[in-house]
Amino acid sequence: MRFRLLIAPLLGALVSAGASAASYTVSEGSTLGFSATFQGETFEGTFGKFEATIRYDPADLAAASFDVNIDLASVVTGDADRDASLPDPEFFDTSKFPRARFVTTGFRQSGTDVIADGTLTLKGMSKPVSLKVRFTANGSDATLDVTTTLQRLDFDVGSGEYADTKTIANEVKVKGHLKLKAQ
Amino acid sequence: MPIKSTEQRWGSVAKTFHWLMALGIIGTGSLGLYMTDLPRGMTKVNLFALHKSIGLTLLALVLLRLAWRMFDRRPRDEPMARWQRIAAHGAHGMLYVLMLAMPLSGWLYNSARGYALQWFKQFNVPALVAKNETLGDFAILAHVIGFWILAFVLLAHIGGALMHHLFDRDNTLLRMLPFGRLRKRPDGETT
Repeated sequence: MRFRLLIAPLLGALVSAGASAASYTVSEGSTLGFSATFQGETFEGTFGKFEATIRYDPADLAAASFDVNIDLASVVTGDADRDASLPDPEFFDTSKFPRARFVTTGFRQSGTDVIADGTLTLKGMSKPVSLKVRFTANGSDATLDVTTTLQRLDFDVGSGEYADTKTIANEVKVKGHLKLKAQ
Repeated sequence: MPIKSTEQRWGSVAKTFHWLMALGIIGTGSLGLYMTDLPRGMTKVNLFALHKSIGLTLLALVLLRLAWRMFDRRPRDEPMARWQRIAAHGAHGMLYVLMLAMPLSGWLYNSARGYALQWFKQFNVPALVAKNETLGDFAILAHVIGFWILAFVLLAHIGGALMHHLFDRDNTLLRMLPFGRLRKRPDGETT
């Protein structure tokens, strides 16, 4: 009796230590994009091609990790001139830097929110970026919503004559809506 | 120079509207022709913004001008053939319609396409309609056709004024010039 009382919590501890956060792949219907401001008007951009490896368990943030890889040339914003400009050297410079990548370094609880700290590599520059995370389990699958705000000039996006923030605002809101499928 | 128009000549308010808008229409019209074929870049972006800013200003001016026209009187027509009188007034009517239609079709185009419409980088005007590809195509077509009609009517308007000034030697042009001194009329009446 005494033995069982002792061993049960021990076994429980062993199991949870051995458990890893669930792994997910991103399925159809997921979106990753941004909203930026041009001449005081907000426009939406989306990346048609990106891959993400997501490990997440709300009860075990230490084991969570995101690795997101974005094909920058797949961007569309609903305007032909703008879409043709974004791969240019002044913006994403996709011939030199075809992809952007975000890799988490750690997760933390901030009030009721979960924050994913990580490094965003964009246009050859790597800088710390934090995402606000909302994870909703749905059986063995889940949805993951992430948001953050970047300053485009931190990554030299829209350089030279496009640096004027009165025409193109510095602030860019990034949002992802990922439909996760258990692996 | 009196503020209001008289029997013989246009008042200072009517003249100011006329010449300010003439400058704006010729300026933004030339800009419109030039800017569309520019390569992508900030120059194109800024010239489009300037074209739209002048256009919005012209829309405000034509509304004020129409309001003033209700309040102001009009000088008597100079003596001229009946067909010239009809053509002149017809051209004026068309110019008013086009002065409204050009900025409004531009505004509609920007709204339907979801483009920004900003007045000299100071403030944005609201969209007239929600995004609508078909309506945007219609609006830009109306804007372009309107431009060519406007160019034609303006040529007739300017040509008519010059013809009256140089050949008929009447006061049609002089009474609209900022500091024009009127000629003696053939019937001996003076200003």
